[in-house]
Amino acid sequence: MSKPAKGDMKTDGAQLKTTKATKATKAKPGAKANDAIATVRQRFLLSADALAALVDKLAAAGTPAVAPAWTADGADGATVATATTGTARETEYRSVSGAAELALGERLPRLSLKQYFLPPTEVLFSYRRNGGGEVELTPAPTDFAAQVVLGARPCDTAALPIVDKVMNWDYADELWNARRAATTIFSLACGVEDDSCFCSAVFLDPATAQGADGLLTPVDDGYLVETLSDKGDAFAAAHPESFAALAAGTDKAATEQAERFRAAAGERVAGHLTLDHERLRNWLENHFDDPFWATLGLRCNGCGVCASVCPTCHCFDIVDEPESVGRGVRRRNWDTCQTCVFTLHASGHNPRADQNARYRQRIEHKFHVYPLKFGDVLCTGCGRCSRACPTSQDLAEILAAINAKAAGESAAPDKAGKASKAAKGADAAPTTGADS
Amino acid sequence: MSDLQDTARRLLDEGTVQVVIGWEASRLGARPVFVTSTDDCDRLIFDTRCVHNLATFLNPRRVQVAALGKAAVVVKGCDAKAVAGLLREAQFERDAIVTIGVRCGGVVSEPSGLEPPELTSANVAARCPGCDVREPASVDFLVGEAQPEPPVTMSLNERIAELDALSPAERFAFWTGELSRCTQCYACRQACPLCYCERCIVEKSQPQWIETSPHPRGNFAWHLTRAQHLAGRCVGCGECERACPVGIPLGLINRKLQQVVHELYGYTVTDDPAVPAPIGAYATDDTQDFIK
Repeated sequence: MSKPAKGDMKTDGAQLKTTKATKATKAKPGAKANDAIATVRQRFLLSADALAALVDKLAAAGTPAVAPAWTADGADGATVATATTGTARETEYRSVSGAAELALGERLPRLSLKQYFLPPTEVLFSYRRNGGGEVELTPAPTDFAAQVVLGARPCDTAALPIVDKVMNWDYADELWNARRAATTIFSLACGVEDDSCFCSAVFLDPATAQGADGLLTPVDDGYLVETLSDKGDAFAAAHPESFAALAAGTDKAATEQAERFRAAAGERVAGHLTLDHERLRNWLENHFDDPFWATLGLRCNGCGVCASVCPTCHCFDIVDEPESVGRGVRRRNWDTCQTCVFTLHASGHNPRADQNARYRQRIEHKFHVYPLKFGDVLCTGCGRCSRACPTSQDLAEILAAINAKAAGESAAPDKAGKASKAAKGADAAPTTGADS
Repeated sequence: MSDLQDTARRLLDEGTVQVVIGWEASRLGARPVFVTSTDDCDRLIFDTRCVHNLATFLNPRRVQVAALGKAAVVVKGCDAKAVAGLLREAQFERDAIVTIGVRCGGVVSEPSGLEPPELTSANVAARCPGCDVREPASVDFLVGEAQPEPPVTMSLNERIAELDALSPAERFAFWTGELSRCTQCYACRQACPLCYCERCIVEKSQPQWIETSPHPRGNFAWHLTRAQHLAGRCVGCGECERACPVGIPLGLINRKLQQVVHELYGYTVTDDPAVPAPIGAYATDDTQDFIK
């Protein structure tokens, strides 16, 4: 599969025009300058009943939608599982077999949507020895069946165009791209943030259109649906009984109600964290050996749960697995820079010798290196890493601390000036867009 | 000032230790903290949110912690059992650390919240009701008031009895479903105070003993191996299950292991390092013939 057309990337990386004017989504310093404004193509009303019927219909047709759903723990007589965790029911993305499973607008699914584009394990190719030293390789098929995601979190869909960039950098990743092409995503404007959320601090907002083919926003009678791409239009056209045209006169009222919902959510989350990304990046560039790092690895287990649950972490390990004599498969499996063995050399040397260095890598990659290389912060502010961390490592707290350090040093022109120049010289650094 | 904070301050002030490993309050609830200055001792807390097993940080392979110097560690019952396990297995000398025991009446399953919650049958960690170490014995200091017993909830043993009552096929189906969610991130291993191997078998690739791919074959291989390696060693602190990002009920496997070890060897995990674990002891009345 070839690299996605440039136009597609622009649409994917867009901000929703209709929310652009709200206070929460006003262009911030360094807001993405290279991304087009997504234009709303069509508006529909999807009633709650129609959504339920649509989900049931898709399941009955053997093409179930992927959607946030209550975890199966505790269902089907397996009461044992939830009993030991003792926590409230959780949600996860999965293929739903009926509307009763849906958990829309509930707590964030425990794993992000990335598993549908980069599964925890997948076959790259299979091999077979044909005798005489000859090896036959068969690439994994990339003809994925079309799938639709309904009610994805905007912070999950927004991650996809960001990761597209590395997946199409020095090599077009056929499997990633084919899954992206086969998938239509209708995200659901988020109104259930908690204090680990900080999407608005990384150029997004609770109703960002980035990565979505359509956006649902709760309104009185169900959801206002706004299509944003050809795929979104095509899905709506294929299900005319679900996507009702807005009656004359109700269009304005529904749109205004949706606006208010999105603006209110945006205002709430905007109070959580504010970052000056250029200053943050400069600080990261010039403080590789700062004593601050030695405070971060202490409580870290080095387990990489943060990477497992992260919508943007995309590293993988490659392994060959024999399946029988003379044949087997090559797979790729999720991996994470937080483990000791990630950078362990064959010689025994480890350039990231302790967890302080590994945690620094997590921050540097997401907020310094990736932005310089690809123009996007490698974080959507979903807060999963903080919530899931067994030792309560708090990314928002760490970013706020670095941001404050950077602000305190911004008067030092020698370091900051040099780094600032370097950042502006990068080809695609939209975080500097407002200034350049 | 609490006894805990005073003890920590004294130990740092005297130079007996260079760091006190304890818990502090944070936005996300209690979390581990590493206090190196007497000025910071007032950050130390112990309440129902202090779920983490701090013995995990004594693993000498956590070089960034070891680099701070000699440590005092705050231990509740399950942490004390883990310290005993590490001593039993000669991971460090007893006088290499100082232990500050706290009397514990149970903790919550998740350490969230700005205030310590009252324990209820809904929020109490599964391991806490029926715990046999409310007051760690082999510690250098013991602080805090005696705590009431936590509310009774359905015990792990009762849940295991439910599973044991299933047919093998039903039980296999149950575990197949649970383990299907595993992504082999090994957060369970990293959170475990007794998983301290220099190189875990899953990371040995010549040959690759355990398939690292999170498919059913690889997941069963990993979880069976993890369980076997912890038989008679697991202290039942539940940190593996809490760390699991996909909610696999590892506590059930661990408790079942404890039951089996008790049936075969009469051994119950204890915070007394002088009591040998079956894996590291020779007994003439061993139930296994092959060892005699």
